[in-house]
Amino acid sequence: MKISHNWLQKYFTKPIPSPERLDELFTFHAFEVEGVEKVNDENGQVIDTVLDLKVLPDRAHHDLCHRGIAGEVFSMTEMAYAEIAPVDVTVSTEGKPSITIEADNFCRRYVGRYVEIEKIGDATPEIQDALNAIGQRSINAIVDATNYVMFDIGQPLHAFDADKVKGSIVVRQARKGEKIVLLESSASRPQGENGQETLPQAGAREIELSISDHVIADDEGPLAIAGVKGGKRAAITADTRRLILESANFEPTTVRRTSTKYDLRSESSKRYENEITPELAMSGMTELSALILREIPTAKFGPIVDVYPKKAVQTVIEIDPRYISKRLGIEVPLEMAKGILENMGITIIVNGRYPIHDKSVEDNSSVWQLTIPFSRLDLTIPDDIVEEVGRIYGYENVKGVSLARPVEGVAILPSYYLSEKMKNVLIAQGYSEVSLYSLVAHGEVETAKPLARDKAFARANLTDGMITCVQKNVLNADLIGLEAVKVFEIGRVFDNTGEYLKLCLGAAQVKKVKGVNGKKLLGDVVGILGTALGVDDSVFSTPESLVEKGSVSVMEIDLNEILKSYKLPKDATYGDLGFGPTSPNIYQKLSPYPFIVRDVAVFVPASTSADHVWNVILDGMKGVDVSGGMNAADLLARHSLFDTFEKDGKVSYAFRMVFQSMERTLTDDEVNKIMTAIYAALKGPGWEVR
Amino acid sequence: MSIYSVYICMTTTDFIAKVIVMKPEQKGSLHPITQIVRAIYPVFQELGFAIADGPELEDEFHNFDALNVPKDHPARDMQDTFWIKSNADPRSEIQNPKQIQNLNSNSDNADIKKSERMVLRTHTSSVQIRYMENNKPPIRIVVPGKVYRNEATDATHEAQFYQLEALYVDKNVTLAHLKGVLGALFQGVFGDDVNIRFRPSFFPFVEPGVEVDMQWKGRWLEMGGAGLVHPNVFRSVGIDPNEYQGFAFGFGLDRIAMLKFGIDDVRHLYTGDLRLVNQFRQGDTSSEK
Repeated sequence: MKISHNWLQKYFTKPIPSPERLDELFTFHAFEVEGVEKVNDENGQVIDTVLDLKVLPDRAHHDLCHRGIAGEVFSMTEMAYAEIAPVDVTVSTEGKPSITIEADNFCRRYVGRYVEIEKIGDATPEIQDALNAIGQRSINAIVDATNYVMFDIGQPLHAFDADKVKGSIVVRQARKGEKIVLLESSASRPQGENGQETLPQAGAREIELSISDHVIADDEGPLAIAGVKGGKRAAITADTRRLILESANFEPTTVRRTSTKYDLRSESSKRYENEITPELAMSGMTELSALILREIPTAKFGPIVDVYPKKAVQTVIEIDPRYISKRLGIEVPLEMAKGILENMGITIIVNGRYPIHDKSVEDNSSVWQLTIPFSRLDLTIPDDIVEEVGRIYGYENVKGVSLARPVEGVAILPSYYLSEKMKNVLIAQGYSEVSLYSLVAHGEVETAKPLARDKAFARANLTDGMITCVQKNVLNADLIGLEAVKVFEIGRVFDNTGEYLKLCLGAAQVKKVKGVNGKKLLGDVVGILGTALGVDDSVFSTPESLVEKGSVSVMEIDLNEILKSYKLPKDATYGDLGFGPTSPNIYQKLSPYPFIVRDVAVFVPASTSADHVWNVILDGMKGVDVSGGMNAADLLARHSLFDTFEKDGKVSYAFRMVFQSMERTLTDDEVNKIMTAIYAALKGPGWEVR
Repeated sequence: MSIYSVYICMTTTDFIAKVIVMKPEQKGSLHPITQIVRAIYPVFQELGFAIADGPELEDEFHNFDALNVPKDHPARDMQDTFWIKSNADPRSEIQNPKQIQNLNSNSDNADIKKSERMVLRTHTSSVQIRYMENNKPPIRIVVPGKVYRNEATDATHEAQFYQLEALYVDKNVTLAHLKGVLGALFQGVFGDDVNIRFRPSFFPFVEPGVEVDMQWKGRWLEMGGAGLVHPNVFRSVGIDPNEYQGFAFGFGLDRIAMLKFGIDDVRHLYTGDLRLVNQFRQGDTSSEK
């Protein structure tokens, strides 16, 4: 919701706080401020500032307008309101539109009147500037007036060309198959129901309605989709001379369903679907009339027709005032709480009646009877009152207190305990934990509106993802420094019969070792898991649980199957699992560029340590300049001593080095240059490079 | 100093020490999210909070209705939801047991069917309901778990992520209790010098509702939502709100992991890339071998 600082100022006598100060006040006492933007004129002069407020559904009943926000400013600052001039216009023309509400569950109030005008010009600069500041396009004096009043007081409004309305206006359910051609939206953002081009355009959208929609109709058919969008047939044009103004109140869920169904979310539908009080409809009509008169002084107004079958009832909340402090956990002085509520237009009667909402409050306490303003549809229960007092008084006053420690230990959730215990066993065996995507290309449980075609299903197994995961890591094994890729995941899978928690193990041997492959690795680790958990290996190794693809072996086991034969230790506590601080490491970015692997082996006297040899290699590298003012050692992503053997009083050390740049793809030539320098360095002490 | 030299400094000692002594079996690494949960949970365990869980494939009742998020209400827009597709024959798709019952009793009520639609849970708050349905107060639980949001992904948004939910139900619960527990929690993970603050916010299942910020290394960071359990939530599970109150909060664990480990893109957490995961090998603290 965009709020103009200039517009807001109109509500107060003295200068309101700066936009920056308002940002802070709103943030800590009302809602988030998503942006503060300066508005410039053609010469680049700052003429206004707009605050973009994140008004959530609880405050949307009354805060999606400047008047509502002025109320928030008043609550937070207690600055004096400016007097608002009376807005009645003189009735100077005969005739009342005939208005009938057929669907009175849907339309709670409909206020209408005729207006005669000589011509429709542009709105005055004041109105145009105000609308432009909040990102709305100016269209003409009438449409602008309906929009201005909506953004000012929160009541959506509509104007029809009275000469194009045939017979009576009726608010009714749409008929099956009934069609309406809509006005076209001109602005980039959705506007009010009247937001249209002045000139009709080709390709106006036609909608076929259903009985779940509601319309404003005349004798010929629909004139507008009620609360959502005006139709083209009775739209006002440059030639319009007689108007019917509409200020109505519609039921929120119907408006929401219809606007969602046809993808017609507008500023109007947004306000209706958040629900506004029908009491506002009369203010809407009088404010709109007064503004039209200011904009077009020759306008003539007919009498107001007000169809209001069931008058809104004000909410009354009874609350023991001490309940406020009891929930907030701070002592809010009662006079302070009272002042905060009265500033919101709530009237308070202290009548000493028995409190009804909190049995723990003593019987002889007093009770406040709060009469809530019509616009505050969000305030219905004592807890809402607690929030209103709390946020204005300030949550910074709440000081944290500890909970009483429980006497008993916590109950163990077996599936969680088992999962975490298995994780401990697996990482000790060199298996790393991954968490893969649950949304995949194939499966049985399909989402209705997938993010992408290859993410349409909830995964039916962990195996498919695990195979890819191991394959990808095999390619990086040298860079990561792995002789075997060993991975596991514990996660949920979904199929037509339900949801299951699974353990998936994946392994591939990268360094050639006789008799070792992925299947052997899995067999080994499953044996160790079985021993550690005290369950038989056969729980893990069913023929269907093992999948082999190339060098990759993957095993997937239902955790429930393990749980069946697993006995939770009698005195188990989560303390057994060695939970504690995270790794202190900070993430080192991954290079998107390929890496190059080189090995070097050297014979040295048996007394020479590998450490010493490695330092000679490093020194050799440091002499090689590479681009970017670095030396070759900066390109060394990883190294390892992968082989050592002794022969004839000499020892051979074989090092593997992985080179990679963060900035570019390394070339073989570059790395060969580094290797040449390393060979030279190693030959220095008279060592033999193999 | 370039990133490499940092990396080398970090690894050479590690490597030379380990590799030269000739390969003790290298340990694997826990996923960053698991590490965060394991750092957080001991704080809760001290306070008597048990771990609870619930399904990721959840029905509309537990994910929304019982949490005071009415149907066809703008509050539902606050979370982009993955609804599960319905086939023509409702028997052929995932349903919760209630719906099957309805079908079996030949109930053809379209509204009932609709109310039993399935979703990938949008928050771990659904587990609050499941736990309260089966347990009487006082209640102290935490729920770590995967959740789903149907929104475009970028460096800070992922369609799947992890939350940690906490629920406390007892007599005379206040916002001050909430603030106390949150303070202990964030100090446990980020150190003693963190501060927390509340800002007014709205979540349908709490009243009052607040947004929780944490001050860490001089910056205020938005951590998650919290508040006192809404009476309607208690009513939906048959707990008398005149007798019991509670607080609840929910945080994104991914965000905490990103802050703690300096990970710059949330999507890295779900690629299964050991180049990332293995950077966070922990010391030999585990008693298991």
